[in-house]
Amino acid sequence: MKFAIALFSPPHSPSSRRALRFSEALLSGGHDIIRIFFYQDGVYNASANIVMSQDECDLTNEWREFIKQHRLDGVVCIAAALRRGILDEQEVQRHNRPTSTPNLSEGWSLSGLGQFHEAAQQADRLICFGGH
Amino acid sequence: MATLHLVSHSPFTDSRLASCLRLLDSDDALLLMGDAVYALCNGTSFREELESLAASISVFALTEDLQARDLTQTLPIRVKSIGYPEFVKLSCHYLRINSWL
Repeated sequence: MKFAIALFSPPHSPSSRRALRFSEALLSGGHDIIRIFFYQDGVYNASANIVMSQDECDLTNEWREFIKQHRLDGVVCIAAALRRGILDEQEVQRHNRPTSTPNLSEGWSLSGLGQFHEAAQQADRLICFGGH
Repeated sequence: MATLHLVSHSPFTDSRLASCLRLLDSDDALLLMGDAVYALCNGTSFREELESLAASISVFALTEDLQARDLTQTLPIRVKSIGYPEFVKLSCHYLRINSWL
């Protein structure tokens, strides 16, 4: 079955961890993830600048590895990302922020809400994770 | 249309679960996760309400969240503790998944 996943919460939220565990179980169960859309505070999961204590779960790293390993379509809402200071090379140039370093993790793309809508239309199921 | 409802907020801090319970259809299912599993604490009105739901409504709780709150030993008979593989199966079985964000 084809799944679209949306994540609305930051990496330190239990629901972000739950979304990742669910996504792993989906692939283990033989299902497809057509897109993972990161929206609102969920965009922080795509930041390359999050640093966790060594004794804590490093969810941004886990997401990065998961998306890379399975070649998934990880899309980050561009408007939500820009207002939270998450920029790729192109946005650093476009908005003339010479002191900023691009901090969108490798393997993700910034795009619009239309990508969320399209994924919801194409998938058999849409599941959203957020809140606590 | 049969819907799987996901609730992760404690019922004692907001009205998400209360609203969800009012809207449950006869063939819907409810999956409690995170702090929402506190609804299963002994002696609470939410536990009573969950126990008195129509038998056609299935109620589940995520095992890891029950374990983290020491609630595995006191589950009502009608509530099934499930892991992520079962969570995936439920999301395929029900036509819609409604997250109470």
